[in-house]
Amino acid sequence: MHLRFALPLALAAASAAGAQSEGERHFEENVRPLFAGRCQTCHNDSVRSGGLSLASRNAVLEGGTRGPAVVPGNAADSVLLRAVDRQGALKMPPDGPLEPGDVQALRDWVLSGAEWGAPAGDPEQAASLWSLRPIDRSEPPTIGQPSWARNAIDNFVLARLEREGIVPSDAAERRTLIRRASLDLTGLLPSPEAVRAFVEDDGPDAYARLVNGLLDSPHYGERWGRHWLDIARYADTNGYSIDGPRSIWPYRDWVIRALNSNMPFDRFVVEQVAGDLLPDPTREQLIATGFHRNTMVNQEGGIDFEQYRVEAVVDRVRTTGAAFLGLTLACARCHDHKFDPISQREFYGLFAFFNNVDELGGNLGEVEGRSRMMEPILELADPELLAGRDRVKARLAELRKELDALGAELEADWDRRITSADTDALLRARKIAETDPAERSSVEDAVLERFFAEHVPEYEAKQEEIKRAGKELPEVPWTMVMRDLPEARESYLHVQGDFTRRGEAVTPGTPAVLPSMAPGLPKNRLGLARWLVADDNPLTPRVTMNRVWQRYFGLGLVETENDFGTQGNEPSHPRLLDWLASEFVASGWDLKHMHRLIVNSATYRQSSRHRPDAAETDTGNRLLARQNRFRLEAEIVRDAALSAAALLTPTVGGPSVYPPQPDGAGQFTQVDRNWTADTGPGRFRRGMYTYFIRSAAHPGLILFDAPIAQESVTRRNRSNTPLQALTLLNDSSQTEFATALARRVRAHSPSRDERIRRAFEICLARPPRPAEHERIERLLGQMADAFASDPDALAESGADSSRGAAWTAVARVMLNLDEFVTRQ
Amino acid sequence: MHPATDPRVQRTRRQLFQDCGIGIGKLGLTSLFVGDSLFSKPAAKTGGMHHRPRAKSVIYLFMAGAPSQFELFEPKAELQKLSGETLPPSMLEGKRFAFMESFTKDPPKLLGTRRKFARHGDSGHWVSECLPHTAQVVDDLTFLRAVHTENFNHAPAKIFMNTGTPFFGRPSMGAWVSYGIGSDAKDLPGFVVLQSGPRGPRGGAMNWTSGFLPTAHQGVPFLSGGAPILNMTSPEGFGGERQAATVDAIVDLNRLNMKAVGDPEISTRIGAYEMAHRMQTSGPELIDFSTETQATLDLYGAEPGEKSFANNCLLARRLVERGVRFVQLYHSSWDHHGGPGESLDKDLDDVCLSADQACKALITDLKQRGMLDETLVVWGGEFGRTPMGEVRDTVGRNHHIDAFTMWFAGGGTKPGESIGETDEIGFQPVNGAVHVHDVQATILHLLGIDHEQLTFRFRGRDFRLTDVGGKVIEPLLA
Repeated sequence: MHLRFALPLALAAASAAGAQSEGERHFEENVRPLFAGRCQTCHNDSVRSGGLSLASRNAVLEGGTRGPAVVPGNAADSVLLRAVDRQGALKMPPDGPLEPGDVQALRDWVLSGAEWGAPAGDPEQAASLWSLRPIDRSEPPTIGQPSWARNAIDNFVLARLEREGIVPSDAAERRTLIRRASLDLTGLLPSPEAVRAFVEDDGPDAYARLVNGLLDSPHYGERWGRHWLDIARYADTNGYSIDGPRSIWPYRDWVIRALNSNMPFDRFVVEQVAGDLLPDPTREQLIATGFHRNTMVNQEGGIDFEQYRVEAVVDRVRTTGAAFLGLTLACARCHDHKFDPISQREFYGLFAFFNNVDELGGNLGEVEGRSRMMEPILELADPELLAGRDRVKARLAELRKELDALGAELEADWDRRITSADTDALLRARKIAETDPAERSSVEDAVLERFFAEHVPEYEAKQEEIKRAGKELPEVPWTMVMRDLPEARESYLHVQGDFTRRGEAVTPGTPAVLPSMAPGLPKNRLGLARWLVADDNPLTPRVTMNRVWQRYFGLGLVETENDFGTQGNEPSHPRLLDWLASEFVASGWDLKHMHRLIVNSATYRQSSRHRPDAAETDTGNRLLARQNRFRLEAEIVRDAALSAAALLTPTVGGPSVYPPQPDGAGQFTQVDRNWTADTGPGRFRRGMYTYFIRSAAHPGLILFDAPIAQESVTRRNRSNTPLQALTLLNDSSQTEFATALARRVRAHSPSRDERIRRAFEICLARPPRPAEHERIERLLGQMADAFASDPDALAESGADSSRGAAWTAVARVMLNLDEFVTRQ
Repeated sequence: MHPATDPRVQRTRRQLFQDCGIGIGKLGLTSLFVGDSLFSKPAAKTGGMHHRPRAKSVIYLFMAGAPSQFELFEPKAELQKLSGETLPPSMLEGKRFAFMESFTKDPPKLLGTRRKFARHGDSGHWVSECLPHTAQVVDDLTFLRAVHTENFNHAPAKIFMNTGTPFFGRPSMGAWVSYGIGSDAKDLPGFVVLQSGPRGPRGGAMNWTSGFLPTAHQGVPFLSGGAPILNMTSPEGFGGERQAATVDAIVDLNRLNMKAVGDPEISTRIGAYEMAHRMQTSGPELIDFSTETQATLDLYGAEPGEKSFANNCLLARRLVERGVRFVQLYHSSWDHHGGPGESLDKDLDDVCLSADQACKALITDLKQRGMLDETLVVWGGEFGRTPMGEVRDTVGRNHHIDAFTMWFAGGGTKPGESIGETDEIGFQPVNGAVHVHDVQATILHLLGIDHEQLTFRFRGRDFRLTDVGGKVIEPLLA
């Protein structure tokens, strides 16, 4: 009893002093992580296994069906301790015992009074979470083998390896390096000529020049833009069941331009989140706000539109959390975050920033041929084009007036002007003409108009004129943008995340656990955007650098790249992450500078060959004793094949395109998808320009793990399935690429050996090993014989000769090799 | 380290389950019970069987659009008597319906059915004249007469039935099952989706998505007519032995590179190519109905080459025979609001006619072959229909989420049972109400999976099919 009364007093004293008590610190460091990691999945306020929640001190004291889980100061009566001791019938956790040290920590905690730290949303808790501490730039550590290191990054990586007694790998061969860097920075294969030039370049800075050249390529913006578009959940359709078309590709092109011009990343963030709120925003800055218009729009009949408007607002909060903060904010939509210091009220504080967008939240028909549900939008034509459209519209209105006047004239002078052999039609039209025009239905109007057109040449001519004039209406490109309502919508907490159940009113605000918004910042999206990239926000630079790292090594320094909270992993190299983050900010948020640093490091340049010796202590290669080897992303699988086939149309940007897709790909959608494959240059554009239908995305993309743009994605799966094999083997596009590759190889030289060599150099940036050369020779022979003895198959293949068909077979093999679709 | 993010666990699980979307032969059920400590230890995180399964496979007959329980299974004497009466407004308070405006203009009137009902079989289940064939097998079925759901629009409700949430992008039931226990199919995907009727289900691929689970577990839609899988046919001129030689060369060259770089991922790719080739060669056999007797074809009413529910039911049996774990058939359209093409008279007749015989055939055929015991068959829509009429061109029924009917058969369910009851007009459950999460928990349970234990860590949270709900429907178990 004594302890129970004493505890609140002790807590009060501690917080009054502004410091953490000993008991609280013990709880934060040893108990809370244990609860979060091993217990709270089943024992929280929503899922109370055995009636028990471990979400708060009160809940623990209250206990479950077996009585209080903890009696402070009394180990014997505390069910929790009995359960983790696993001596009695109750053995917890069910998936295996706790470490003895953890059991002791729990016992100490109970005996010392079971103090509890601050509740969710309390900044006190921030101190215990590594990701919320200020970025700490430390000097690169000294290392035992300084000659290996090429820049500061390597000091951090090597120091860690040396601590484990692991030696790093040698640099990869130059051929591997140029293919790796080209794929990583541009997503395209280097030409055999470029490979040779690089291999033969004796200059000490050959590699640095190569990297600079790749960073200057317009394809750099495409490659890294596509990474960003995953996060932005970009797609060409509205999602949900109807999934109608939208126009937002200008935003996609903005991303590419911004990256190619190396726009400082802080500006990149501000313009996307709040470009419309900047003073006198430019057209570019408005286009940038498409970032948060990539939310889905439900066009289904009979729905409650408000529900889906709210869903879009929630998605903006979720995406903001994933893209910049690395926090799983959406967990706090229905209740206080179970693990991280974010309260439900704070979730709705962020919600309020995004709740004022001037979205219609209803289906109000069409204007200029597009659904009004797409609004707010920005038309992208130059003033001349818009003026032209106004002229055509005025002309159309005038013609329409003339037509109506003529109709009225005909009605008035019916007997003299109308003659018809078809009595039925005549009577019907006459009857309509005799009713008051205001009373006629639209069908009756149409019937009468058609009758006049068929019987009065003058009327028909006028109609034709209108049709012709209509064709002159220019198509004006447009894109979805953000625009706030003049009066802010009122925002409320939604009880259990249900938008129909309003809780207390909330105003825009950021979570207390994070550095607060500077007083001068407006409490709107612009203020929020500036806060995201404020000097004292440790998350945005850490999260961004971690994700850049992830693209180069397969995994981030923090493996849970979308969760920097208590449930995420801690960084494998905390000081390296902070060094990168601080270097990033200090360089003026210069992305290309950071790319240059990483790609030039010895760490990046290592061979990816497997290292059984290092794998013994470091299974997942988290310490980076070698590079990682991974399959190309969906779009890049296509781009690599296009570059090998020399078919690529290298145009950057523009409306999305329709490369062929297998028949029946759209068979399972609610609304039939008309997919007419492009026959012109659109057929051979990079994978990122393929028109992306959320409900029925191109199978070539989906099967290779392209995200379906339902929500922000910060890391893709890398699956390896038979359906991928079927695509690469049999898809008609692949056959087209293989045919072109075979042509390219045959044109290179009449020599069989030279051709085989060329095929390897084009596809893998290296010559074949003898065994590989032999295997291809054997295939050539086999195939030539097979085609020679089967004229029907030869005819079907479309090849000019059995030899030619055999080379197509070789090209098919090359495009299917594991190494071809892999960045080594 | 957290098991879900521990690379050692991931690595192993990945290798094990890599091909499960497509099935790997050696990964039988028993290997999940014992042997691999990664599975026997933290099963909650890594999947696998939790108890002895009753069913090996599921055939889920998804009646897209929501069939009217009042015209098929639920005669209500009181509703007949009150037909034409206005529903007391107090009963509508706090309720949300689709197309609210059609109910707010005029207070809705109760609608009796024009269909004749009779009791059938030893179990005495009520079935209407619409389903004369189904009526013949009622003793093999278990009816759930008071299922309730949470979403009143087709797409979200279908997604809810399949993924446990109305949000797009969460893993579907078939994907969870494939992820959890894999498949016995050697050369077919573990989760196959078939479709018949005038259009695809609302929500499309979101109904069989793998969500945040590895994509190998997503449902693979089989196309009607022709080759069932996209890109299953070799390029012209390159089929047969030439395709075999091509795959051989790819495999050999990959092996050579495997020796050079030592990445186990290359072995997985080799396996994928070998299986792809097997799929190509076994695909034509799968859809070749000529091995079926005329009696079987007649039983289903199957016409080789036709795009029909009957053909899909027969194909489903063939898929399950070949070890496919989860087959889902979508059949549209049951959305009888009363508008053009959606009347409770002729249009309901049409869709019943297209579905009824094949449903009976599937049960009968599975039973004859001794497969019904280990094949769970599920029949149902995304919600039910209102006891009130909805006035469009004709009088139809609106969407109703509070009570509707589903049936189960085989796979360890109790035949002839009836669970749940609604009030006199079929508006609300009065006992035995089951939630969609309960239905999902039960399907997983019959497959040997504890729905609370099959979880996946994503975005900082452990997700499961049944979200935070779900209770196994005990009375349904044999």
